[in-house]
Amino acid sequence: MKLLKLAFSSLLERKMRSLLTMLGIIIGVAAVYAMLVIGNGAKDQIMDSLGGINSRSISLSPNWTRGRASNRKPYRRFTETDVEQIRGIRGAEAVSGMINSSESVVVPGTDSQSDIRGTDQDYLATNDMTLSAGRNLNPEDLEFSRTVALLGSSASERLFGKSYPIGATVVIKRIPFEVVGVLETYEAQWSRGNDENDFIIIPRSTMRARISGDDWLVKNKVDNIQVVGETTESLTFIETEVDSILRRSRNLSAADAPDFRIFNFSANRQQQAQGQQMFTILLASIGVITLIVGGVGVMNIMLVSVAERTREIGLRMSVGARGSDILLQFLVEALVLCAIGGAIGLAIGYGAGEFVERSSSVGNESVLKIRHSLPTAMLAFGSALFTGIVFGFLPARRASRLNPVEALRHE
Amino acid sequence: MIVTRNLRKTYILGGQEIHALDGVDLTVPAGQFLAVVGASGSGKSTLMNMLGGLDKPDTGDVEIDGQNIVKLGLRGLARFRNETLGFVFQSFQLLPRQSALSNVMLPLTYRRPAPDNAKDAAQAALTAVDLADRMLNKPTQLSGGQQQRVAIARALVGQPKLLLADEPTGALDSKTSENVMALLGRLSRDGLTIVLITHDPEVATYADRVVTMRDGRIVEDVMNEAVAA
Repeated sequence: MKLLKLAFSSLLERKMRSLLTMLGIIIGVAAVYAMLVIGNGAKDQIMDSLGGINSRSISLSPNWTRGRASNRKPYRRFTETDVEQIRGIRGAEAVSGMINSSESVVVPGTDSQSDIRGTDQDYLATNDMTLSAGRNLNPEDLEFSRTVALLGSSASERLFGKSYPIGATVVIKRIPFEVVGVLETYEAQWSRGNDENDFIIIPRSTMRARISGDDWLVKNKVDNIQVVGETTESLTFIETEVDSILRRSRNLSAADAPDFRIFNFSANRQQQAQGQQMFTILLASIGVITLIVGGVGVMNIMLVSVAERTREIGLRMSVGARGSDILLQFLVEALVLCAIGGAIGLAIGYGAGEFVERSSSVGNESVLKIRHSLPTAMLAFGSALFTGIVFGFLPARRASRLNPVEALRHE
Repeated sequence: MIVTRNLRKTYILGGQEIHALDGVDLTVPAGQFLAVVGASGSGKSTLMNMLGGLDKPDTGDVEIDGQNIVKLGLRGLARFRNETLGFVFQSFQLLPRQSALSNVMLPLTYRRPAPDNAKDAAQAALTAVDLADRMLNKPTQLSGGQQQRVAIARALVGQPKLLLADEPTGALDSKTSENVMALLGRLSRDGLTIVLITHDPEVATYADRVVTMRDGRIVEDVMNEAVAA
């Protein structure tokens, strides 16, 4: 306590100098903090963009031909056989195949286009969706090509408003379907700008037989397939198995370029997280370098202070101060300097983070998001204290080792 | 109180050996007011540093209050200076930005365990040197004589057994010097052992005993009848 008071009074005696010395620490801490919150924010953004995707999922899609969008076609579609075989892979928890198209949907009073997804009972599992009412599709629905439908939450609201939709009828491409289930609203994996919960799920077999028709080259077509592994670790194995199954069905040798794509979300996320980490490290190291420069400033000023106060040190020793008392006195002084600088730096860093977020916003959406957090603040502040200890130690030790006789004689 | 035996200290200065102390044997009984006089370079300051535990002799012993301080480590010396000694310097050595009271309290801030009546003790010490009304003044607001009295109060606050004064009047005019010396004489009569270093024979007359040094040796040692009487 006494030491703190002593340090404060000694720093106040030389306000301008203390302030200038602090400046290095202030900038350093502000930089460290701002960089870290920006880094955190960027990490959140990446995680958000992948949110809603089952992290244990693999997505399969065929390669498409080049050319104008309207003319593009898949090189070769997946089939029911592919889905069946992939379902047989050890460690595959859920496998869903989907065909989709946009069709006219009629209920009494409305007539609109809707996103129709022909799929199976595993679709909910592979997309992290849950039912809010009714039942899921079952294998019989597919086997008998039943005309049953599940509604996304927005589709349900749009078509039926507040009334209970289970048991009601929706007419898709002039074929009546019975609504058997409604889904909970879910956060979409990739926002494409349209309502992610506005879709209708029907059995894939019904879709192919009565709505979209089949591909004239490939019987029992499936547009894309999603696989969820039991564990993240199983994904690599599943990926190689899927690759070999698809190559076999397409008569591709291991050396041929595949005409399909396997997208492993987990691996992709890891990669992005790694890149993000590098980014954060890079930013933080800029802050650390600034802190080191600031620390050297602190050391320099503390050395000057020790030299100036040589006689005071000699006197203190002559009245019974130990070397450790003197060491502590100067160390606490350096620490107080850095603590005050750290606090101011945190405030500035906080402001800088806010500024970056606001100034980078386009409309209401910030390009660079930030995330303040207590641990980050503590880390930045702690690094200031650490700087104080490291760079205050040498001057303090020098002070504590002065010879009192010479110190007293010092002019 | 003080016993030194065959104290020797040699400095090398410009390639030349200088015998600052060349076998000093000195015994000072408790309560004595001793003045050490001599020209500059006679070794009197070195002797004072030895007595104050600020410097160590090449050979010989310094026994103060029954303790051989030559054998003490750094911590022991710090404790010894804090509890047994009071220093008074020629240039006062006050902390310029602190009040007289804070200056006087300084030695007690290093006492272990920390005394809880440090402020009272400092006020009492300042009162004893007739500065009760100047306690909150800073050194710059005090005259030279007052500053030296603050320094003496600081030396006394820890209730030392020995007061070491190094040219305490060196920076003062003759009138103020008399004042300060009268104060030291009073402290001596109250039973404090005092060792005073000076080159001024006038100042030495306040002491009970005057030791003269030359070239690191004691060359004269007389009792001062005038004061004793």
